[in-house]
Amino acid sequence: MKKVILVCLLALLTAFGSTLVAQGVQESAKGPLKFSMYYSDNATLPFKSDWLTVTEVQKRLNVDVEFEIIPIADYQTKVSLALNTGTNAPDVILYQSTKGENAALALNGAIVPISDYAAWTPHFNAMVKKFGLEDNVNLLRLKDGKRYYMPSLFDVPFYDGGLILREDLLLKYGLSAPKTFDDLYNVLKVFKEKNPGSYPLTILAGPRVLYRMTMPSWGISLGKNGASGTNTLSWDYTAKNFFAGAISDQYKQYVTFFAKLYKEGLLDPEMAEPIDGDRWAQKLATGKSMATYAYYDQIGGVTRTSTIPGFKLQMYPSLAGPAGAHHQPKSKTGAGILFPAATAKRKDFEQIVRAVDEMFFSEENSLMWCLGVEGITYTKQGDKVVFANDILNAPEGIYKSMQIKYGCGSDVTQMIWVNAREMTKYDANYAAINAAVEAIGDVIQAIPPTPMFDDKQAEQAGSLQTPLADAFERWNTAFLTGTKSIDKDWSAYVQEMKNLGIEKFVKIYNDNLQ
Amino acid sequence: MRIRSSSFSTRAFDAFILLVMLGVLFTCLVPFIYMVALSLSSPKAIINNQVSFWPVGFNIEAYKQIFSYPNFFQAYRNTIFYTVAGTAIALVLTVMFAYPLSKPMLRGHGFITKLVIFSMFFSGGLIPNYLLISSLHLTQKVWAMLIPFAINQFNLIILINFFKSMPAELEEAAIIDGLDYAGILVRIIVPLSTAALATIALYTAVFFWNDWFNGLIYLKSKQFPVMLFLRNIVTGTSMVGDAAGAGDKTSIAISIKSAVIITSTLPIIVLYPFLQRYFVKGVLVGSIKG
Repeated sequence: MKKVILVCLLALLTAFGSTLVAQGVQESAKGPLKFSMYYSDNATLPFKSDWLTVTEVQKRLNVDVEFEIIPIADYQTKVSLALNTGTNAPDVILYQSTKGENAALALNGAIVPISDYAAWTPHFNAMVKKFGLEDNVNLLRLKDGKRYYMPSLFDVPFYDGGLILREDLLLKYGLSAPKTFDDLYNVLKVFKEKNPGSYPLTILAGPRVLYRMTMPSWGISLGKNGASGTNTLSWDYTAKNFFAGAISDQYKQYVTFFAKLYKEGLLDPEMAEPIDGDRWAQKLATGKSMATYAYYDQIGGVTRTSTIPGFKLQMYPSLAGPAGAHHQPKSKTGAGILFPAATAKRKDFEQIVRAVDEMFFSEENSLMWCLGVEGITYTKQGDKVVFANDILNAPEGIYKSMQIKYGCGSDVTQMIWVNAREMTKYDANYAAINAAVEAIGDVIQAIPPTPMFDDKQAEQAGSLQTPLADAFERWNTAFLTGTKSIDKDWSAYVQEMKNLGIEKFVKIYNDNLQ
Repeated sequence: MRIRSSSFSTRAFDAFILLVMLGVLFTCLVPFIYMVALSLSSPKAIINNQVSFWPVGFNIEAYKQIFSYPNFFQAYRNTIFYTVAGTAIALVLTVMFAYPLSKPMLRGHGFITKLVIFSMFFSGGLIPNYLLISSLHLTQKVWAMLIPFAINQFNLIILINFFKSMPAELEEAAIIDGLDYAGILVRIIVPLSTAALATIALYTAVFFWNDWFNGLIYLKSKQFPVMLFLRNIVTGTSMVGDAAGAGDKTSIAISIKSAVIITSTLPIIVLYPFLQRYFVKGVLVGSIKG
């Protein structure tokens, strides 16, 4: 009898407690809170439902998340279909923003305007405030003044890729590390002289990685991966408006420099075609190329496979060009979480929003998505993070092994990125390069703002963008490879771009800035 | 069966054909052999361009790794199920549709044939199709893979014409012997159509085996076919993000890509020789006398 009373009392207390802590998601009376979630799966770190991070976060919050694992190559298709039709949509979608199609979907009511529910996302709000990203987050609002997703947040952007050179060859030929693009030209020239059969500079994934990483040193960002997403416009960081980067003098100087490299055989002639990761690695590992623009975490793979004795690749800070030393512009907000409109119809919508907010943005849980669980993946010695032995000694490195084994550091689930904390996962060399870049100052500029278009303006901008982008790509390749002369044909090129409406295109963008 | 001809020109022509066919065989086999060699070689040898048609640094690590991918076998089982069930359903429905349409005496058969042909060239598009399947409550069920694709217009037309070419006397004889049309179809027509049916079965099986898109849009991830898995590994790894963090930019080793391609295409290739025996000419020879 006593037991029964005790159980009843306990039950009453918990029920009472849960109404008291109305915000607390944990105390749901009827078992765990259940909801479904789209997850973008990358084959290099296949999702495992028994990942420590995944099981631990569900345990901590007493939620039962049904992850829908969708291959990254087809993720956008699946998301688009779910949002467009509104049927079979999951409750939560990860790894999304309101760029492109999603903006129109949001304005037509397919996505929950999460900024209307700020009271339910205390952890997200706190992190935004802590990083001082209020303005950045406000820029994500659409035409109607509402924001439709919770982005991932970065305190200091990473310098995660850039110029990578054969350090052993620099030493062998008595060269010093390049600081400017003219230095780079001289270095490549020596490489070519000593190895006539080689093409010293090669590029990962076609020219777009080169362009996005080097153009900002000339004050422009153009092409398929240009920072503004317009292909032919660039952002003027002092005047705070867009200009027609594709027909600017800055671009003319830029393409003149690289056409010179091309002409003298310093640049991989295959660069105009996409060079995929495998062939790129092959070129470097076999010594056919000695310099590249690529990402730091790719160095290890190439070095391991090379048979050249003494082979050593090193990454260098951004080189100075006419507009200073700049890397590709980066945003302090990244892809994040959105809720399809149907989720708002659920009775427990508030609990879901609160649970998701706490799952990804709270201090403890965001730490876990980065470093795992203290005592299992790492321990703390004073302020220093010491990783468990199986991670420290993993041949693939700390970062990768934490991803594969524990699901830490996946950009789908990690929403809070603290640069200093991330650096603990990398070697001292990488941290030193990042420190050097930070010392130069303003190397990584912000992504240009997205103008607030309504449907009609978006349509107009889109119809101008494609033909301009095509013409730019065509002329750019022609200038680079020398089939068109930059001196003689420049005015014909500018005229063509003007005929295609580049000036009107700039105007639409500048007229709709926030 | 071979008829030997003493004429030189015929022999020369035979030799020429043989050469051409060997050339075709060679071009078909080379990429496949290359893939097998890559999948069994060490990554180091591949990057250093040492692999041609024979594995260098023989190892089966790549295969070990794909077998350790979560859900690989699940996806494989799904694909086998879709292929077997899908082909069976498609064959039954196509035969039942084609047979009546092959009878010009039936009123309206022309109209229905035109409807079928119309749908060959015009379709509702992706979103209407999705809404249709969704309102039929087929999404997230395996039926979404099987039913909508059961009848392929092209296969249907092949079969209609095949049925039309059968001698009417056969059916007349069967009717005299007391069979109704259902009996004729099951006992006479189908057994005599194995060549056509095998062709259609092959087309359909290859379709279901290769299909990834319908799986992607209609099904849950546990029901995904292996081709989606393959696609993810072969193409889905070169994402370069715009965010400030260190995204994942490492690519998957060529040996693993090759191993995935081999493991997912081999079974359907193996199917061909088994179907070969149904492609026999002249089944009808001698079926009608007098």
